[in-house]
Amino acid sequence: MKKYLLLTPILLLSACARMDHIQIGDIDQSQGKLTPISVKVSENTVDVDTALAVTDAIVTNGSGSDEVEALRTIWALMNMGPRTGNPVFNDTYAQDVLNQLHAQCRSGRITAIRSVREANDYAITSGEIIRIDADCIM
Amino acid sequence: MIRKFCLLLIVLTLSGCVGLNTVSMTQIPKDKGQLVEANAHDWVFLNFTTQNDFADKAVESLKAQCVDGKISGVFTKHQTTSYLLVFKRESIVSGYCDLPQGKL
Repeated sequence: MKKYLLLTPILLLSACARMDHIQIGDIDQSQGKLTPISVKVSENTVDVDTALAVTDAIVTNGSGSDEVEALRTIWALMNMGPRTGNPVFNDTYAQDVLNQLHAQCRSGRITAIRSVREANDYAITSGEIIRIDADCIM
Repeated sequence: MIRKFCLLLIVLTLSGCVGLNTVSMTQIPKDKGQLVEANAHDWVFLNFTTQNDFADKAVESLKAQCVDGKISGVFTKHQTTSYLLVFKRESIVSGYCDLPQGKL
């Protein structure tokens, strides 16, 4: 038990970066000076399967293991199919990215757009990130 | 026995399997111009890494190859090569540089 208590803060505090997708757009350096701009939105979520697996490992000697296994199976069936990263519970968190990007570029001329889908994984939780880096033509 | 094990370890360490993560492409103009290419990568041990900035180097390299020009038809390939316990994450980017008349 002491081992788990020691391991928990280490797992919660250390993050691993994950990159799922990157797309680079046209780069126009012929119109004027470029200034870098960036927008990053993130949604925190729980990796339910890992959380249940940890719970299962802890209660494996107790009486609750079968129930946890059943929950894991139900969760796996609910989340079947292709997906990128961990499921989030808010599907609109990336909606305002375009407005935020425009707010940083007064000329409205944006080039070299890099769309990155990435995440920070903290053991059983993760921050599912959408980052748009670009250059504003001044 | 040890010799065989060492040989197997070397083979396993040097052989890698590539996984293609994503591919994207932008519009290709009629007058394509000169092809410019860039490649950026980083190495991660057991997928432990805290940054994804390696791809920025590819963009900087592309920009440097087409100063004052416009790069279109940008083809981006993001792939991961898995070696024994080590991964190589890579962004391979190419595009067509259209320079203004005076710069040709």
